[in-house]
Amino acid sequence: MNEIALAADFAIIVVVATVVGLIARQTGQPTIIAYILTGLILGPVMFDIVTEDALVENMAELGLGFLLFLLGMKMRFDDIREILRPIVNIAVWQTILQTALALAVAWALGFDPTEIIIIALATVFGATPIIVKILTDKDEITSLPGKIDVGVLIVQDIYLVVVLALLGADSLGNPTEIAQTLGVIAVMMTFIGLFSIASSRYLLPQLFRRVADNKDVFLIVAIAWAFLFIAISEQFDLSLEVGAFLAGISIAQLPYSKELEDRITPITDFFILVFFASIGLQLEAGELLAYWREAVIASIVLMVGNFWIMFSLINREDFSVETSFLGSINMIQVSEFSLVVGSLAVAQDFIDNDVLGYLSLMALLTMSVSTYIISYNHAIYARVQPWFERFESDDKEDVDLSVYENHAIAIGYDEITEGALPMLEEKYGEVVIIDRQTDHIETLEEEGRYEYIYGDFRHGEIRKEANLKNASFVLSSTVQSEVNKALLEEVNDDATVFVEAERIDDARELYDRGADYVIMSTYLTAAKLSEYVEQYFDDRTSLEKSFERDIARIEREEPVDIEAERQKRTGGDDDD
Amino acid sequence: MTELITALAVLFVTAGAFLLVANHFSLSPVPFYILAGLVAGTFLDQPELIELAQWGIAFLVFVFGFTVDFKSLQAVIRDSEAAAVTQLIIVAPVAFAVATIYGFDTLNAVYFSVAATLSSTIVGAGLLEHEIRDNLVHGRLASSVHFFDDLLAIGLILVLSAEAYTTTQVTSKIGFGVLFLIAALLVYRHIFPLLVRLAGDSDELVMMGSISILIGFLAGAELAGLSMVVGAFAAGISIRSDDASTIGVLNGIESIKDFFVAIFFVTVGALVSVPDLEVFIVAATLTALVLFVNPFVIMLSFVYEGYDARTAFLASSTLNQVSELSLVIAIQAALAGAISETLFEAIILAAAITMILTSVARRHEETVYSTFVEGLFAGRLTRKIDERSDVDEGLEDHVVIIGYGRQGRRVVETCERLGREYVVIENDPVLWDDMRAECRNYVLGDAMSSYPWEKAHVEDATLVMSTVDHRPVSKSVLEVDTPAEVILRASTSEVARDLLSGGAGYVSVPNILASDQLATVVQSTLDGDRSLDQIREEHLDQFETLERYGFGSRVGDD
Repeated sequence: MNEIALAADFAIIVVVATVVGLIARQTGQPTIIAYILTGLILGPVMFDIVTEDALVENMAELGLGFLLFLLGMKMRFDDIREILRPIVNIAVWQTILQTALALAVAWALGFDPTEIIIIALATVFGATPIIVKILTDKDEITSLPGKIDVGVLIVQDIYLVVVLALLGADSLGNPTEIAQTLGVIAVMMTFIGLFSIASSRYLLPQLFRRVADNKDVFLIVAIAWAFLFIAISEQFDLSLEVGAFLAGISIAQLPYSKELEDRITPITDFFILVFFASIGLQLEAGELLAYWREAVIASIVLMVGNFWIMFSLINREDFSVETSFLGSINMIQVSEFSLVVGSLAVAQDFIDNDVLGYLSLMALLTMSVSTYIISYNHAIYARVQPWFERFESDDKEDVDLSVYENHAIAIGYDEITEGALPMLEEKYGEVVIIDRQTDHIETLEEEGRYEYIYGDFRHGEIRKEANLKNASFVLSSTVQSEVNKALLEEVNDDATVFVEAERIDDARELYDRGADYVIMSTYLTAAKLSEYVEQYFDDRTSLEKSFERDIARIEREEPVDIEAERQKRTGGDDDD
Repeated sequence: MTELITALAVLFVTAGAFLLVANHFSLSPVPFYILAGLVAGTFLDQPELIELAQWGIAFLVFVFGFTVDFKSLQAVIRDSEAAAVTQLIIVAPVAFAVATIYGFDTLNAVYFSVAATLSSTIVGAGLLEHEIRDNLVHGRLASSVHFFDDLLAIGLILVLSAEAYTTTQVTSKIGFGVLFLIAALLVYRHIFPLLVRLAGDSDELVMMGSISILIGFLAGAELAGLSMVVGAFAAGISIRSDDASTIGVLNGIESIKDFFVAIFFVTVGALVSVPDLEVFIVAATLTALVLFVNPFVIMLSFVYEGYDARTAFLASSTLNQVSELSLVIAIQAALAGAISETLFEAIILAAAITMILTSVARRHEETVYSTFVEGLFAGRLTRKIDERSDVDEGLEDHVVIIGYGRQGRRVVETCERLGREYVVIENDPVLWDDMRAECRNYVLGDAMSSYPWEKAHVEDATLVMSTVDHRPVSKSVLEVDTPAEVILRASTSEVARDLLSGGAGYVSVPNILASDQLATVVQSTLDGDRSLDQIREEHLDQFETLERYGFGSRVGDD
């Protein structure tokens, strides 16, 4: 039968990676390490069961494409606007200084000139998946050091995309050619970039507004958009990564990007596993360990060196010492892009597998050590604080970040929740509404009264964005009990939670799981109707009164709405 | 960039463009994938693409496996019994005979009749979303038949994977199938929970673990010589979980599924070359069978079972498209070289055509019903309603209650308590026994046709109260000629306003009532008048009272 294909190399990789991943998980290590190890285990280094066949190679490439698409989508400049200037300063200098340091180290370790350049380009510090993952788990991603790190990583990624484009180009024989290639890349990227910005302004908002309500269409149209850019960059001889990244950026500024991010992430996870495993597959034992001493030395020097580079840069921007310390100690591992750049350089014959082995080993070492360091970052700071106090000065001050805290969240904006929102706003100050319907979001946007997040509450990314863990009051108007159960599980114990249910059994279970109040519109209506029937026969006058009151309520058009509309219309001409 | 990636780029860009069209006209995406494949066909000639498409099949069935709600199985069998039997003993043999007349051999004739008989879940469920949410009887009926058809398809795939159709071969396949289910249950009980525990809070690992389980079952299916569909279905069952923490994981798997399923459907379309006359004739015959014969026969069986003509018509008219699992069966047969090329292409064409036509036809079903179907059953209907109703002849100044769900029951109870006369109109035969036992007067019939109203003596009624939240029903209640006060139900105040201006005396909007209640509770907790514990206790007490009076969760909806 033709189905043998499914159980081939790719399937083996997935299964082994899961097993290794589960083991790594027990020691607190990130999955990326497990994936590289999987490649080493299955490849020539150990058992040599799996070879990198065409399908595996293609899936690895798809993984890379999706990774950059996702990365582009995360480039929401709004997120870091408050600290944009210091971040750009830090990121630019960090990139220059760490490249110089990596170059010096590689030179000192005696690599030959081409290798030194590639190593210097490839050794970028700060691995997005690791930092974001661990900080999210520790609930620190929205803290100031977390924001600085994420911001720096975002700016750094632009640099990496240029490096990738450069290495993907065909002619890099001498300095003139390199300069030429860089020039061409710059022009092409500007061109596609402009197209991407233009479309994110004029085309995509309408396009996605139309399709966003239909889950399946939404995802496939977004993927089609990515592939369209991939095809365009192919026409311009740019790499797949550049196209995917620019496609991501054009979507990033739309309100739908969080939701989309959550749908693309699993696909990326699925394929990127193959990519990291394929790096391990490429290496022979001899190649991996060819430069093991150099890798160990370089890892130590670069970890220490990069910590100080980051620390002094953040410190220079007048953030507090603690922020500087935490922000820089999080960033002491080689980026996963080192391996991306490295394997591209191997494919282009700039370096041989020995150097890729060196880069891989360095990635494995720095990533595994830094996982523990990030996990214990506060404890470490407490130990070394006395010594670091010398950097303290009075004019240092942390920026206040706007983070949702002790706020109220409403899941679903409808006639049920609407009435309670003003009270919640008064009591908790801030109300964040999560809704997955474009027309509701538009109404909210027009009113401009409450904060809102477009997306499905089922998605972790959305819950994180709303900072569910720190909410004081959550009001859910969905009757899907799996959503409500997930909500009750994740929410802070002290928070007040109101949910909705369709059936008594569900309601009881939700109370058991800690809901404070369960709204049940069906039973409420039933009670009301039978009350009205009774009044109909016994007490017509009060029935008429009830009817009048209810009908007035139904027919009430919010006067506030009209006022807001008018203001919007008159005020709307000035800006935009 | 490799050729595969280029092919994928062509595939997705074309599919994306077609989806925009589908979305614009609110049509189902599946046929548009197939059309995209037809158009982009020549660029998609990649053996690796077929491998990815097979992942599409695996994920499609995998996701079906973990979304199957076994708790509802009993209700499904109750609902779809008659229709399913009719399909098997009438539609399938007819289709088989037609295929034989066209000169297909036995195996191909079986494939033909499978395609003619089964109907599609994704397309059907998409179309029915509204009805299912509103708890309408025909929505429930149709989705039950879909569900039954899907299970049947998987059973068929199991049997069709035998190399030769001897008794030993077929029984051994069935035996393996049972073994797979047992293995799935074991994984569900022991291995999957272990996986979730080991993975801690890493959704990524749980997801990769689930996919590993899928791969394990696929490999097992291959070893046992079964179709991968059986393996994927068993794998789906094995990762079912009531644990709220896996909700993100299941969503993740759905994303991956959507990606591969798009590849699958487009690739299927791409496998069709320019159809020649023969393909065209076979496809047209199949389309006719699926579009007219199948629904018509099923409608008759629903009517025979006691559903009113409208419900029977509406339920069966959403069953008139080729199932996507039939496509899976066809493509698997094509890969194994067991199906003739003509038939294969005809099935795919017929699938695309019927899937599009069914979405379009839905918009005109009311017209079709009143022009063609209603007259057909007229005489029979009044007789049937007479048989199944019980109304006191001298009824006057009574309340007409539409719908016998939770709200309807509550109102009935109030009327009895007050000693007022009432009639219930309900169109769901499943509730007939309850009505017979509990109600003094009842009519089993459709509130959208006129005879049940006559039967309920609406001209002498004092109050008409509808508990059905469905606009067409509300509209036809307003059209009934009666001096009685009319109370309707609506889901939003916008609809309510419309109904009020259409002459309704009052419209109950559950959302608004809930909103008021919610506001009161929020206010009193914020003010500290009553503690939440107090409110919770009161509410739980209320539940008990409700259940004691029989208004609990087991009762029908609304």
